[in-house]
Amino acid sequence: MRKSVRRCGTVLFLAVVIAFLPLGTARAEESAEVAALRQEVVALRAEIEALKAAMRELQQGAAGATSPAAETAPPAAGAPSAAAGAATAPPPLAPSAAPARSANVMNPAISAVFQAIGQSFLDGREDANGFDLSEAEVAFESTVDPYVKMNLYLTFPVDESPEVEEGYAQTLALPAGLQLKGGRFKESFGKWNLLHTHAFPTVERPDALVNFFGEESLTNDGLSLSWLIPNPAGLYLESVTEAGTAREGPSFNSEARALTWSQHLSAFFNPSDNATLEFGLSGAFGQTGPTETLLADLDAAGLTGILVPDERTPSNVYGADVTWKWKPLSANTYRSLTAQAEVLRSRRHAQTLSGASLDEEILTSDGGYLYLEGQWIKRWKIGLRGDLAGFPDSETDRTWSAAGVVKFAPSEFQEIRFQVKRTRLNPGAAARAGGDGDQEDTQVFFEWIPIIGAHGAHKY
Amino acid sequence: MTCSVRSASRTRPAALLRVASVLLATALLPGSAHASGTVKVVASLPNLGAIARDIGGDRIDLTVIASGVQDAHFVDPKPSYIVKLRAADLLIVNGLDLEVGWIPPLTQGARNGKVLPGGSGYVDASTGIPVVEIPAGLNRAEGDVHPYGNPHYLGDPLNALTVATTIAEALKKADPAGAAAYDERRKAFAARLDQALFGASLVELAGGSKLEREAAAGTLDHFLDATSIGGAPLRTRLGGWLGRLAPFRGRPVVTYHKDASYFAARFGLVVADYVEPKPGIPPSARHLEELTERLKHGEARVIVTRPYVEHRSTDLLAQKTGVAVVTLPLEAGGDPKATDYFALFDLVTDRLAAALAPTGAGPAAPKKGSGSR
Repeated sequence: MRKSVRRCGTVLFLAVVIAFLPLGTARAEESAEVAALRQEVVALRAEIEALKAAMRELQQGAAGATSPAAETAPPAAGAPSAAAGAATAPPPLAPSAAPARSANVMNPAISAVFQAIGQSFLDGREDANGFDLSEAEVAFESTVDPYVKMNLYLTFPVDESPEVEEGYAQTLALPAGLQLKGGRFKESFGKWNLLHTHAFPTVERPDALVNFFGEESLTNDGLSLSWLIPNPAGLYLESVTEAGTAREGPSFNSEARALTWSQHLSAFFNPSDNATLEFGLSGAFGQTGPTETLLADLDAAGLTGILVPDERTPSNVYGADVTWKWKPLSANTYRSLTAQAEVLRSRRHAQTLSGASLDEEILTSDGGYLYLEGQWIKRWKIGLRGDLAGFPDSETDRTWSAAGVVKFAPSEFQEIRFQVKRTRLNPGAAARAGGDGDQEDTQVFFEWIPIIGAHGAHKY
Repeated sequence: MTCSVRSASRTRPAALLRVASVLLATALLPGSAHASGTVKVVASLPNLGAIARDIGGDRIDLTVIASGVQDAHFVDPKPSYIVKLRAADLLIVNGLDLEVGWIPPLTQGARNGKVLPGGSGYVDASTGIPVVEIPAGLNRAEGDVHPYGNPHYLGDPLNALTVATTIAEALKKADPAGAAAYDERRKAFAARLDQALFGASLVELAGGSKLEREAAAGTLDHFLDATSIGGAPLRTRLGGWLGRLAPFRGRPVVTYHKDASYFAARFGLVVADYVEPKPGIPPSARHLEELTERLKHGEARVIVTRPYVEHRSTDLLAQKTGVAVVTLPLEAGGDPKATDYFALFDLVTDRLAAALAPTGAGPAAPKKGSGSR
């Protein structure tokens, strides 16, 4: 009974199969076919593997080289056809790095730094003792578009309103080795003037720079054009020409908005793989207002407002710098020596009170520093600086100083410094500081500089 | 399997022949290919330079910025490199922020749009690389972490194949007339690398591309054990760099910096610890003491260090625990013998194998590091 039902079912099934699949035959043949198919599948699988391999090889190789069309292309059309071949090769996949999370990915690189400075005069002067968060700086940097990048440095000096320390746009790909910068920037004068406070090799700026340019760097609102001078030796020779309105400082403090020109030339050499040598010449040409002495003399003579001093007397500052660095390639984070020197000369016209009229004379004054730095172990550096500094509005006032600094950088992102500085002031310079006669001061500094945010590049 | 064997044995002589013919053609016709001048290539790091040289041959004028004995994180951006970049057609960088401290000031000073990120000649060699150790969160309390993942990917020779392709494509764009030559040289590079990595005998049998695929998928071991030819598993044919280090699979090593992740993964080693407590942070006395304790208890028998890191810490560890210290260059030129990428891995695998090989005695018989210092 069951058997006949099954047979009936088989017959029915076969009838259906035969009706729909004319090729289908008996069950016995079917199982043989399955075996054959299985073999074929195995063979196909192997073939797919081979094809995949071939495909991978094709993807890696250039379509151009393997395609006969590209190989036989005539030389004249060779370039375009090869380019077309390159275009057909699939480019490698984009890196699997972090995906774009939000509109924030277009934000500029932001970093923040401050200097906490503690200082004390050891010889009784108490006007500057104590701890200060001397300055906090927030920096933004980003490319604007394919042609220009922008840097903005906002500083928050202690107890003063925030200001733009630098803010400029700089071209990235001008032809002929040119680079144009516009906005507010530290003038290309020597080496130290370009540094931000936290990047100073010592806690404070050399005396000569303070006397000639003021507590801040010589900073311009204007334009700067840099040119990489082509030369057969392939040396780095750079010319920087700048024009702008100097913001403040003893040498260029004209209240009339006078234009300052400056020119900087530098040459860079590699005497060996481990050592570099750089020379620079600078000149800043501008105008400045009356000296403090003249204003005091006019006041004393009751001539203020009667004799009006020239607000635009010429003032020029010239400089030369040399930097030698030794850093063994295989130990450049452990050992290094640096020697850097800058000399400055100011030549400015100054009016003096002579009876009831104003005379004009030319005042020449000099200044400079020598800085030596050595590193013998990772994270530790010691530095020595010797300064000689005149004042642009006097040919006699002068200071001498020597400073020693020990610096410890627990990581790339912070540095702790301890500095001792001994200064000698001649009577003129002492009078400026409120003293009289020869004067000697000893100052100690402690400084802590942490940096957060984007990883800044190191300038050489 | 059989298919790839067939395809490999068929393509290699043909490829070599083609390379030879191209080389001959360029030698015979010096003017034709070079009429437009050589391609000026600047590579940030020596390994990239070595691969670029292999792909570009004498069609390129190559400048390498960093030296092989230098720490790639801390190269000084000397202005003299700006002059090189000013005239460059291509700049090849490692990417993944390895050069973040020194490439930007060079490209931004170069006044050459080609070598700026996004420019036609800016070649990020990390393109297409399967990057590991991408941090989930960024915090400098963890040391100098690379935000885009571990950048030392050329520690895995398989990644050099991807880099070679990236460089070849860039060269073809910069110098379309040399497209065929670059393709041939890339193929020759791949064939040479396969042989150096897997051994000529295994490549002959299984085919380079099949082996590359298995290795990339992490299934090479299974493939070598499961596939037999003439009754013997393919593993018996494994040679080259992988073969040299095969006896030491699973062995722990301590490295100075976290720069051996890709290398260890490819060669089956386990990085058990680091001499640096955190990336970029030099070891403190306490950290060294703790490490000494762990090493004494058998954490590892070999410390891998680099030519450019201090050796006081590693010497101290070796002296206290008897572990071997071996100096392995990370870049071509990091040792006088490591003249190119291939010589680098010859040297590294030899030195490491010698350091890992049992000497009979345990920690009691310290082996002096075969370092170059």
